[in-house]
Amino acid sequence: MKITFTINNEERSLEVSSHQRLLDIIRKDLGLTAAKEGCGKGECGACTVLFNGEPVASCLVLAPQADGAEILTVEGLLSREGELHPLQQAFLDAGAVQCGFCIPGSIMTGYRLLQDNPEPEREEVCQALAGNICRCTGYQKIVDAIQLAARRMQAGGDSS
Amino acid sequence: MKNSQRNVSSRPKASGSDFEAEKENTQELGREVPVGSADYLAPETLNKALEYRSRYGYKAVVIAGGTDVMVDYFEGLTEVSSWLDLTKIAALKEMKFGPEEIRLGSMVTHLKLATDPRVGENLPLLAEAASEMGSWQIQSRGTLGGNIVTSSPAGDTLAPLLAYQARFVLGSVSGQREVAAEDFFTGPKENVMNQDELLLEVMIPVSRERTLSRWKKVGKRKAVIISSLTMALLLELDEKDVITGARAAYGAVAPTPLRAEEVENYLAGKSLSEVSAERAGELAAREISPITDIRGTVAYRRQVTRDITVEALLDMQQG
Repeated sequence: MKITFTINNEERSLEVSSHQRLLDIIRKDLGLTAAKEGCGKGECGACTVLFNGEPVASCLVLAPQADGAEILTVEGLLSREGELHPLQQAFLDAGAVQCGFCIPGSIMTGYRLLQDNPEPEREEVCQALAGNICRCTGYQKIVDAIQLAARRMQAGGDSS
Repeated sequence: MKNSQRNVSSRPKASGSDFEAEKENTQELGREVPVGSADYLAPETLNKALEYRSRYGYKAVVIAGGTDVMVDYFEGLTEVSSWLDLTKIAALKEMKFGPEEIRLGSMVTHLKLATDPRVGENLPLLAEAASEMGSWQIQSRGTLGGNIVTSSPAGDTLAPLLAYQARFVLGSVSGQREVAAEDFFTGPKENVMNQDELLLEVMIPVSRERTLSRWKKVGKRKAVIISSLTMALLLELDEKDVITGARAAYGAVAPTPLRAEEVENYLAGKSLSEVSAERAGELAAREISPITDIRGTVAYRRQVTRDITVEALLDMQQG
């Protein structure tokens, strides 16, 4: 069946089957490979994307359910000129990336958090990231990165 | 752990002559299906959904937020030849806060329950339970109705719904019926729904009394964990702090979420300050019928049920 949705501000129409997941069409049909498959059952958060403005585990969304939806992945955070989003830059600067597998999911959750809460406390960042498992970093530097991005975005007035 | 079947192309495909016949029938309907075909039905109106439900029954697996059914599906525990997706039905996402009762649509998400201030103010047990369920990712998709219909004894909204004396409105093409929350669950993942019915709404009467309530979820980690046990304790008090009504509901400690009547009977009619929290805790521990599983042993569940009951009552007594 054909579905139409917006991904990273671009409208796309795709032929999908009712046995595919949103994650499958994002990665395989659209070639946007930032979102990862970790556990495949909604526990690890590696496949997190924003779906109508909220973080979801894209492995638990049936592909046809994306009809009419607005989706944002890490690829959509880059500026038109291809510059990294302040959140991405902060992950690099804070040393928050080790193997990197969880990072696209963690960034999307962090991005959504900063929309509501531009200056989150450490505890609030941890709460928000409860559904994003990282096996490398021990989380400290991921939390650092989100707070660093928050400070920079506040200072630069850039909340895009 | 079971190996997840992740390769989409290897999913069991629909087969069997029954299904093929159904498929042809639906294709005759053609344009009535907004997206897709016989294997994916996404009606935009409730009437259409009920019609599909009546025609397909269990052959079309109902999907709401997908946070339970998609896990079973991709682990190969559920075979799906056809989906009935409820996410496009706006009427099921409404919440109405009336003077006599609160009505919550079955497709209201946990995120909505956790963040809407009206829920926090009027139904704090439900708001807290929703805010501790899964993760942000799960709360934004998972629905109240899904949690109810899945009917896991560990479903986090279920003890709060029992404590609030919720009633569930079930609809089918032939009409509607109401079932009290405590009569709805019949066993682990079993309930009284018929195959042509959908859960439409949850109705919660507004209490006229002053109420105190305490929610507790116990699990092996702080977040993203299936509960080892849950408790929703609610007291109604008159102006002299006499308990006029008590509801003590527990989850994951019996085949269904349950209300501990002995605890309730013990508490009712006493003034809050003269209640023995210890006694109530012992009654609760005796009344549940837990099993030993990966989330806790029988002894653990009895001990912790006692402890959290005592703790909640002491906390209420201290105001």
